[in-house]
Amino acid sequence: MSMAATAHDVSEAAPTDQVDLRREFNEVGIGEVLDQLDRELVGLKPVKTRIREIASLLLIERIRKRMNLTSDVPTLHMSFTGNPGTGKTTVALRIASILHKLGFVRRGQVVSVTRDELVGQYIGHTAPKTKEILKKAMGGVLFIDEAYYLHRPDNERDYGQEAIEILLQVMESQREDLVVILAGYGDRMDKFFASNPGFRSRIAHHIDFPDYTDDELLAIAERMLRDINYKFSPDAREAFIRYIGLRKVQPLFSNARSIRNALDRIRLRQANRLVADLDSVLTADDIISLEASDVFASRVFLKASSGA
Amino acid sequence: MPQNDLMARSIPTSRCTPQEETSMNQHSMTVRGKDRYKSGVMEYKKMGYWEPDYEPKDTDIIALFRVTPQDGVDPIEASAAVAGESSTATWTVVWTDRLTAAEKYRAKCYRVDPVPNSPGQYFAYIAYDLDLFENGSIANLSASIIGNVFGFKPLKALRLEDMRLPVAYVKTFQGPATGIVVERERMDKFGRPLLGATVKPKLGLSGRNYGRVVYEALKGGLDFTKDDENINSQPFMHWRERFLYCMEAVNKAQAASGEIKGTYLNVTAGTMEDMYERAEFAKELGSVIIMIDLVIGYTAIQSMAKWARRNDMILHLHRAGHSTYTRQRSHGVSFRVIAKWMRLAGVDHIHAGTVVGKLEGDPATTRGYYDVCREDFNPTRLEHGVFFDQHWASLNRLMPVASGGIHAGQMHQLLDHLGEDVILQFGGGTIGHPMGIQAGATANRVALEAMILARNEGRDYLHEGPEILAKAAETCTPLKSALEVWKNVTFNYESTDMPDYVPTPSVAM
Amino acid sequence: MRITQGCFSFLPDLTDEQISRQVQYCLEKGWAVNIEFTDDPHPRNNFWEMWGLPMFDLRDAAGVLMELTECRKVYGDRYIRLSAFDSSHGWESVRLSFIVNRPKDEPGFRLDRHEVAGRNIRYTTTPYAADRPEGRRYGGL
Repeated sequence: MSMAATAHDVSEAAPTDQVDLRREFNEVGIGEVLDQLDRELVGLKPVKTRIREIASLLLIERIRKRMNLTSDVPTLHMSFTGNPGTGKTTVALRIASILHKLGFVRRGQVVSVTRDELVGQYIGHTAPKTKEILKKAMGGVLFIDEAYYLHRPDNERDYGQEAIEILLQVMESQREDLVVILAGYGDRMDKFFASNPGFRSRIAHHIDFPDYTDDELLAIAERMLRDINYKFSPDAREAFIRYIGLRKVQPLFSNARSIRNALDRIRLRQANRLVADLDSVLTADDIISLEASDVFASRVFLKASSGA
Repeated sequence: MPQNDLMARSIPTSRCTPQEETSMNQHSMTVRGKDRYKSGVMEYKKMGYWEPDYEPKDTDIIALFRVTPQDGVDPIEASAAVAGESSTATWTVVWTDRLTAAEKYRAKCYRVDPVPNSPGQYFAYIAYDLDLFENGSIANLSASIIGNVFGFKPLKALRLEDMRLPVAYVKTFQGPATGIVVERERMDKFGRPLLGATVKPKLGLSGRNYGRVVYEALKGGLDFTKDDENINSQPFMHWRERFLYCMEAVNKAQAASGEIKGTYLNVTAGTMEDMYERAEFAKELGSVIIMIDLVIGYTAIQSMAKWARRNDMILHLHRAGHSTYTRQRSHGVSFRVIAKWMRLAGVDHIHAGTVVGKLEGDPATTRGYYDVCREDFNPTRLEHGVFFDQHWASLNRLMPVASGGIHAGQMHQLLDHLGEDVILQFGGGTIGHPMGIQAGATANRVALEAMILARNEGRDYLHEGPEILAKAAETCTPLKSALEVWKNVTFNYESTDMPDYVPTPSVAM
Repeated sequence: MRITQGCFSFLPDLTDEQISRQVQYCLEKGWAVNIEFTDDPHPRNNFWEMWGLPMFDLRDAAGVLMELTECRKVYGDRYIRLSAFDSSHGWESVRLSFIVNRPKDEPGFRLDRHEVAGRNIRYTTTPYAADRPEGRRYGGL
């Protein structure tokens, strides 16, 4: 029921010579996960295509095992490159679910960490910390965000190197126990892989997450608002389109995350505007509507005009 | 309203209709004012012992009786009489009641229901104020509730079915001297039932021969051996002989296995002084456990429980004699009440039935006893004969013991019925093994460990049980021959004490 | 002799696969699994040395097996056991404990009898291995 029923049953089941592909697909239930991914993430076409490809490959791999055509444990470690807020964490969750349904990981949890959780402050601190995280990730996916911080080329004695060595060893010798996803900005990841060829050779799938287009960012905003029962008035919508254009070129822009933060502040201003007039009687429409003035009060417009 | 409460939980095989219950429970007939204390004889139900509107307080003790009135006696009057006779009433009105807060002290029967499928029997719910009882005294509790009333003439029969003990009262008792968790820590045994055996033959072995049986059984793999209830100090073996030889056996088996072992040294004797002497000697010899019989009485049991707590001793109770009053469904005291009292009194082990063995025990009723022993909270479960929610307020858990006519081939059923926190005692099933006592013990231990291993692996051990045992027997000859010898032994007799409420699949609530 | 402490000592030594299944059972119950080792198997030696802390919040037995492999590399000549701790109220103790590694040779225990007044005897159990200093028992050094 426990261990054997998931990852191992693939190899333990009696070999077959015929497989009804649709039935197989339906039984493992990855279709639902792929649909969920389509629904919950705006845009990201190339990413979704890659995920479908990987899912298909693994489905076939599963069947090949059943037919005794392969007995290898495939390498499944991945790298996700792209700017912040482009959906890497969400995709990691869905990937974990797909891997779990197909029996390539036993539990399917995602343990998400950064350098701080892997690397210690003094001698002898790093190995236990890294192992602690690895143990929690066993049976699932270890997602290391901004993985390049593990490597500090300027400091030869950096403890990050110790974590890297343990990770590399486990990624190689315990491929059936966990899948590692390394994530971060594309250019920095490239440099990281260049100086740590061990990682590059152990990564089977590289997925690049493009920035969202302006239209996609607007769609994301409207979806977020809908989920929490808010909406833009027509003027506010126009204002927000301008906002997106301005915000994108400013520093520290992080796609969907920046949109969420912007909406939080706009809601704050809306509430403040409503409460300013305590004598008014509010309709539900007043409460759910964000107005252009709520958007225009953003500093983004201030900077844009002063800069111009 | 209380009866709605019961209907909500009760199960549709009951033949009594709601209308019948309502009409039984509707009126208070209590006479109030001056008339109440006019000299002469008055019906109990008019004296204030029948109060259908009474809502029991959280601090009340509640008793549920099965009342069988004599032909022609009104069940309400009979139930009110039980309330009266188990609290303040006597056969006639007494003016001295008026010197007391009599209304508080009167037990109040607040509900009477016909027993499903049992014409002429009624369940009477009676509430008693906490002030009617002495703190921490089973003697006082039982003298009040079952002291006089069971011989009352207007009743054909009377049975105490269950009691709700308020937390306020539970907290006045010590509870089990050791408890399941600490017993396991002391014995260093976790994750499986413990194994025991009663030394056989019951009578006639000399101390030296007796110790031999203990050594063989413990070395073979049992955790405990046990004196039988009537092994005290007889001409064939005086108690010191037994204790000395048994402790030699225990220590030798411990050294041979590296495990902690114990043997329940029965300290039951004619006087408290003798019992204390025997208990002290057991302690001096390094025994981890002593044993007493239920027949020594509630006060003696509580004394020994206090002694056991003071002396780091596990206290085993053999329920000798209980069937004289627990077995018949219509009269006496249910064993679930005895189990509750014994948890309060403070013993660590109690024999509570095997379901599959040679002694009385319907599976659902037995499950109810085990829950009473082991859980911190017992929800009402009529189908297990548990009539009240019972909070135990973190009182230690009491380890149930399953003993009598069980063998290794039933391991899967035992584990399924009885769970993990139980002592399985295979007396005949160890000593009667064709290859000897050690082999018998080993067979039981291997069967048990194999079954636990399979259960933890998520296997359907109840159905695959025989297969799991057969597989384990491949590498264990003693188990193989045990399975062969006892393969057809079962005890299938109609139970005499079963729950009155049976769940059916079609509950339309 | 074979020391029979722990839950499965009467069965043939468990394979790593079997150990994993038992660990998984514990993890699914929410218990934290601890690795302990000793070269003093006296039945009342409760406190075996801890190989790190009990492992909390694990999802899969592979994490425990990873540590067990490490522990065996260092202390493979000794007894190693796994213990699972249940923190729920009213229990707050070990729920399952079993030996997962043994010395090649188990010499067992000496039982000393010290005769005292009357026919009483004081018993002392001593592991033969404990005649040597800790760390040098069971063929170590």
